[in-house]
Amino acid sequence: MKEVFIIFIIALLIAVFGVISIYSSNYHKEGEPWQSIYKRQIFWVCLGALLFFLMALSDYRRLWDWAYFLYLFVIGLLLLVFLLGAIRLGAQRWLHIAWFNLQPSEIAKPAIVILLARYFSKKTLFELSSSTAQSGFLRSFFIPFLFVLIPAGLIIEQPDLGSGMLIIFILVTMIFAAGVKLRYLLILAGIGLTSLPIFWHFLHSYQRDRIMVFLNPNIDPLGAGYTIIQAKIAIGSGGFFGKGWLSGTQSQLHFLPESHTDFIFSTFAEEWGFLGVGILLIFYFLILRLIIRAAEMVHDPFGKFLALGITLMVGIQILINLAMNMGFAPVVGIPLPLMSYGGSSIIATFFSLGIAASICRSSNYA
Amino acid sequence: MRVKIIYSGFFLLFAVIFTGLFFLQVIKGGSYRLLSEKNCVRLMPQEGTRGKILDLNGKVIVDNNLSYEVTLLPQKNEKVDSTLEMLAKALGRNPAVLKKSFRQNLVSSYLPVTVASNIGTHSAIILEELKADYPEISVATRPLRHYSYGKLASHLIGYLGEIDRWRLTRMADYGYNTKDIVGFTGVEERYDYYLRQEEGGTSIEVDHRGRFVRILGYKPPQNGKDIILTIDLEIQKIAENCIGDKKGSVIIMDPFSGAIRAMVSRPGFQAQSFVQKDQAAIKDLFSDESSPLLNRAISTRYPPGSVFKMVVAAAALETAKINPSTTHVCEGYYQVGKQKFNCWSSHGIQDLMDAIANSCNNYFYQTGLSLGGQAIHDYAVKFGFGKPTNIDIFNETQGIVPSPFWKKFTRLQGWYNGDTANFSIGQGYLLVTPLQVVRMIAVFANNGFLVTPHVVAKIGGQDTLIWRKKPSTVGLKQSTLEAINAGMRKTITSGTGAVMAQLPVEVAGKTGTAQVFGSRTHGWFTGFFPYKKPRFVICVFLENGGPGANASMMAKDIIDQMCREGLV
Repeated sequence: MKEVFIIFIIALLIAVFGVISIYSSNYHKEGEPWQSIYKRQIFWVCLGALLFFLMALSDYRRLWDWAYFLYLFVIGLLLLVFLLGAIRLGAQRWLHIAWFNLQPSEIAKPAIVILLARYFSKKTLFELSSSTAQSGFLRSFFIPFLFVLIPAGLIIEQPDLGSGMLIIFILVTMIFAAGVKLRYLLILAGIGLTSLPIFWHFLHSYQRDRIMVFLNPNIDPLGAGYTIIQAKIAIGSGGFFGKGWLSGTQSQLHFLPESHTDFIFSTFAEEWGFLGVGILLIFYFLILRLIIRAAEMVHDPFGKFLALGITLMVGIQILINLAMNMGFAPVVGIPLPLMSYGGSSIIATFFSLGIAASICRSSNYA
Repeated sequence: MRVKIIYSGFFLLFAVIFTGLFFLQVIKGGSYRLLSEKNCVRLMPQEGTRGKILDLNGKVIVDNNLSYEVTLLPQKNEKVDSTLEMLAKALGRNPAVLKKSFRQNLVSSYLPVTVASNIGTHSAIILEELKADYPEISVATRPLRHYSYGKLASHLIGYLGEIDRWRLTRMADYGYNTKDIVGFTGVEERYDYYLRQEEGGTSIEVDHRGRFVRILGYKPPQNGKDIILTIDLEIQKIAENCIGDKKGSVIIMDPFSGAIRAMVSRPGFQAQSFVQKDQAAIKDLFSDESSPLLNRAISTRYPPGSVFKMVVAAAALETAKINPSTTHVCEGYYQVGKQKFNCWSSHGIQDLMDAIANSCNNYFYQTGLSLGGQAIHDYAVKFGFGKPTNIDIFNETQGIVPSPFWKKFTRLQGWYNGDTANFSIGQGYLLVTPLQVVRMIAVFANNGFLVTPHVVAKIGGQDTLIWRKKPSTVGLKQSTLEAINAGMRKTITSGTGAVMAQLPVEVAGKTGTAQVFGSRTHGWFTGFFPYKKPRFVICVFLENGGPGANASMMAKDIIDQMCREGLV
C-alpha cells in the first residue's frame, strides 16, 4: 500500500507543478476562458486521481479480460475522430463530447500497452520469454504488428505523427523485451531504414520543416524554427534559480508558443530554473523507478509486461517531450505526462499509473 | 536480460537530458538570459534638442524649430489603409505616398510610424481635433535645425548630417553611434560634443507581437548646450551683404583678443538643405565647380601679394637693413641678374611710408634682397604664416612659406635672387590664408602680439577664455610698428586705398593684387580701424576679383555701413 501512496503523492506534486505553470502561462492572456484554463486542469487532475485509486485498489489482472474490448473501443473512437473529429491547429485529433474534447490518441496508448501485455503473456505461463521466443514470425511478430498498425495508422493520419511513432516504438520495444528472435527485429530495422526516403515523401510539408529546423533552427528563425529557438531561450534564461513564478518573460509575453501544452516544460524551466527542473526530473525518475521495481518483483508475466509497457509509455513521452523542449528532438505533438494541459493525457496517465500502483501492491504480497 | 538493456538505455537517456539541462540553464544561462531580455525589452527613444548657436549679443543665429509630423500607432489600428486615406484628405497629400511611407517606416507595432512630416501648424490643429475619432493618430513634434538667416555664416556654422564611417571610428569612444546626426565643418563639427543632445527614452516591455505591456524605466533626454559665438550678427550681415555673390572672403576680427566678429566665405550654401534632406540641392553643392562648401577664409591658400610687404618691412626695420627714412628710387622695374622685375608704376624717390602707401614693388625688391630669403621666411613665420592659426574650427590649411632650405628640399632647386624678389612682394611660392593675413595685420593693430583667432565665446554659459592660448608677443620694436602703421595710414590718406579717405573713421591698411598664373588677379585689402585706437582688423579677399582696388572698395562699403550703424 505504501508504494501506491508514494506514486500518487509524487504524481500529484508533478500535476501541481503543471497546474501552476498553466496558470502562469495564461496569466497575461486576455479573456476568461484562457485565464480559467488552470481550473479545468485541476478538474482533470481530480478526476485522474479518482481513476488512479480505482485502478490501484482493484486487481490489474482483470484488465486481461478487458484488453480486446478496450482495443476495439479505442479503434472505434479513432474511426469516429476520422469521421467527425474537430479540427484544431490543422489536425483532426479531437472528439467533441458535451463540454470537453476527447483526444482518443492519448487513450489509445494505455489500451495498446494492455493489449500487447496480454498478447505476449500467457495467463498460465510464469516464464516470461518462453512463449514468444519459440514461436514463429507470424505469431511473435506479424500479428502484434498488425494489431498496432491499425490504430497507429489512424493516428498518423490525423495527422499526429509523434503519437503514432510513439506507439510503434512501444510495440517494437515490447517485442524486443518479449524475446522475439533478433533477426526479425533486424529485418524490421532494415526495412525501416530503406523505406525512410519513401516515408519522407509521404510526410506533410510542415513535418518536413520541423525535421529540417530541428537539424538547424536558424534556417527559418521566424517560421518553423521559432518555437525551438524560443523554447531554448526560455529554458536557458531560467538559469539556476529561475525568474520566479509569473515572471518568466518568454511565457508571460507569449514569445513561447504552446506554452501550456507541449512546451509547458519550457514555461516551468524558465520560472523555476535548474533547481525546479532538477526536482521535477527526480520526481519523474522516482515514479519510473518504482514501476520498474514492481516489474522486477512481480511474478505474473502479464503484470511484468504491463509494468514495462507503462514505464515505456510514460518514460518515452517524458524523454521525447523534454528533448524537444531543449531542441534535442524535432517538434512532435507529444505532451509531457502529468504536466501538459489536456484532460485526455492527464486521465490516461493517471489511469496507467493506477495500474502500475496495483502491480506494485500485488508484487509486495507475492 | 533484454528488459535490463531497455531500462539501462532509459536511465542513460535521463542522464543525457539532465546534463543537457545543466548545460543549457547553468552554463549557458547568462547568454540565454540576455537573449530573453532582447526579446522583450524595447527602447522608445525621445530626442532632446541640439544646442542653439547665438551671436555675441545673444541673437539667435541657429536654433531648432518644432516641426510637426503625423504618426500612426499600428497596434491600435487594423484598418490602416482607410485611416491613411482620411489622413491624406486632411493633409491634402497623395494617399499613395502616405501608404508608401507607412510601409517604409514600419519597424514594430509598438513604435509609432511617421507617415508624414513637416506638416503645417494648421494641419496639426485639424488632426488634433480628429483624434477623438482616430485614437491611433497622433501629432508628434520633432526638433528640426533651423537657420534663421539662410546662408549667413554658413561655413562658420557648418551643417548637420548622418555620421559617416570616418567620423564614427574617431568618435565612437565619445558615445557616438551609427545613424547619429552630427555636425560637419564649422562650429557644428568642432563643438558637436557640446551641442549634441543626449537621447533619452522609455524602456518598455513588449510581448511576442511587439505590443506594449508595461514601462520599465524612463530617462529624460538632455538638451545640448547653447554656444555663443564671438560673431556680431550685425557686422556679419553687413559683410555678407557687401560681398554679395562675389567669390572670396571677408574676415573682421578683434585685434586684441582674436575674437572673430565676422567671417564670410563665398559662394555659400544653405545648411537647411541638409536638414530637409533635399538630395538634389546637396548633390549640386558637392558637384559645383566653385566649391561652395569650401571655407575660403581658412581652408584655401592664396598668394598674398602686396599685403605681405608689411612683413618684409618689419623684418628690414628689425634687422636694421633700412630705417623709416631709407629711400630707394623706383624706375618702374628692377634688374635682378638678367631678369627685369616690374613695379606697377614708376614711383620715383620713395621712403618706407611712401613705398607702403603706393605699394611700390621696386622698394621692396631692394629691401628684400638686402634681407635675403631666409630672413623674410623667419619673419613670415613669426607673423604666423606657414602654420595653422589654431582657430577653433576644423579644416584649416597652413599655407606655404618658402625658404632656401624648403626649395632645396621640395623642389630640389637652389634659391635664386629672383625667388627673394618675388618673395618680397608676396608672390612666388608663398601661399597664405585670409585668416593668417588678418592675424598678421592684428599684430600691427595690437602693438605687437600674435593672437589666436577664435569664433566661440561661451559654451553653455562657460567662457572659453580659459581654454585659449594667450596672445604671444612677436617681439617687434615700438618704432617698427609706428613706422609701418604710419605707412598703412598713408595708404588710406593718399595711397592705393584712398577710396577710404573720406570715411568717418580713420582706417589704416594695405591693398594687394596677387598675380595668378593664367587667371585673373586676386584682390586683397587688409587693415585696421579706428587708426588711433584699433577695435577691428579687416581682411577682404576676392578670389580672381581683379586688382586690390576692388577689395578696397568693398572694405570701404563695409566700414562705412558699420559706422552708420554705430558699430565702430
